[in-house]
Amino acid sequence: MKPHRRKKLGIIVFIAVGLSTAIGLSLYALSNNIDLFFTPTQVAAGEVTPGQRIRVGGMVKEGSVEHSQEVLEVSFITTDYNHDVRIQYAGILPDLFREGQGIVAEGAMAEDGTFIASRVLAKHDENYMSVEVKAALDAAGNTPGMPQGVMQ
Amino acid sequence: MWLWFSKLGSPRWFYELSNKWLPWLYVAMMVLMSVGLLWALLFVPEDYQQGQTIRIMYVHVPVASISLACFPLMAVAGTITLVWKMKLADMVAKSVAPIGAWFTGLALASGAIWGDQIWGTWWAWDARLTSLLIQFFLFIGVIALRSAIESQDAAAKACAILAIVGAINVPIIKYSVEWWNTLHQPASDFSMDPVAPNPPEVWVPLLIMISAVYVFFVIALILRTRNEILQRERRSQWVIDLVSREKSV
Repeated sequence: MKPHRRKKLGIIVFIAVGLSTAIGLSLYALSNNIDLFFTPTQVAAGEVTPGQRIRVGGMVKEGSVEHSQEVLEVSFITTDYNHDVRIQYAGILPDLFREGQGIVAEGAMAEDGTFIASRVLAKHDENYMSVEVKAALDAAGNTPGMPQGVMQ
Repeated sequence: MWLWFSKLGSPRWFYELSNKWLPWLYVAMMVLMSVGLLWALLFVPEDYQQGQTIRIMYVHVPVASISLACFPLMAVAGTITLVWKMKLADMVAKSVAPIGAWFTGLALASGAIWGDQIWGTWWAWDARLTSLLIQFFLFIGVIALRSAIESQDAAAKACAILAIVGAINVPIIKYSVEWWNTLHQPASDFSMDPVAPNPPEVWVPLLIMISAVYVFFVIALILRTRNEILQRERRSQWVIDLVSREKSV
C-alpha cells in the first residue's frame, strides 16, 4: 500500500475507533435512560419516586390476575422472580396478556406501593412454534430451552 | 490479487460482468421468492401465541436484516472511495443509499403492523426501534447530502464520511435488545430439534425468504449501479459504442 493511502486509512480507522469509544461511553452512561422499563427489583430498591411517570416490566405472576366484576378493571402482580409489583389497570388488555406472559406497564407508583397503569403492553418472547409443538412440549412436562423471563 | 482488485474497480469491467450475472440472479430470485412466500404464507403452521400474525416475521426479518447490511456496505464503499479513490466504490455507495432507506422503512412499517397486533402498540421508544429509526434518518441524510453538494468528488467524500460515522449505529441496533431492556424481543436461537422452540418448520422458510430478499437486494443494487455507470461514463468511448450498438439493433 502506498504511504499516503496508508496514512488516509489510518486517519479513518482512528476517527472510527475514537467516535465508537465516545458513543459507547455515552450510551453506557445513559443506559438507565435507554432502558425501556424498570424491573420490579429496581422498584424494590427505591429507584422510583411515587408519582413519576415510568414503565415497569416483568412477568405476570401465575394466579395473581383479578378482574373486577363490575368495571373494566384488573389487578395483577408483575414479577422478575426476585421482587413483585402490584399493578392496577383500567382498560383493554392486549390479546397476548395472560399469566406467565411478559408485559410492560406505563403509569406511576402510588404512595401505597401499587403501580397505577394507564397502558399495558404485551412483550413477546423469542420463541416461535406451532400449537402442536407447544402441546407436545407441555405433554413431555417441560419446555427445554425456554428462558425464564423477559429480563435478559 | 491487486490486479483483480483494480480490475473490479473499473466500471466498464463491472458493467460487462454483471450483464452475465443478472439472468442467473433473476432465476434464483424467482425460485427462492416463490418457494419462500408460498411456504411462509400457506404452509407454516399457526404460532401457539401469535396465530397467523407470525407470517409477518417472514417479511420483517429479511428486510430488517438487509437494511442492517446496507449501512456497513456503504461505509466500506466509502472507505474505499476515500483511500483508493476507486470510481466504482462511490457508484455502489450512491446506489445502495436509497435501497437501504427503503428496506429500513419497510422494516419499521412491517414491525409496526406486527407490534400493533402483538404488543398493543405500533411504536415504543425502546432502544431497538429508536436506533433503527435513526438509521432511516441517516440514510435520508446521506441521500440529501449527496444531492446538496454539486461537485461529484466533494459529494462522494462527504457521503463517505457520513457513512463511516453512521455505521457505528449498526452494532447498536444489532445488540440493543441485549444491552438494554426493550419491548422488542431478542434474536432467536434456531433449533434442529423438531419438537422444541423455534423448530426447523419455523426457520427453514425464514432462511429461504432471507436468501430471496438478499438476491433481490443484489439485483436492485446491480441495476442501480449499472445506471450510475452509464450516467457517469456517458462521455467515454465504450458507452458511446454500446449505445450506438443498442440503437442499431
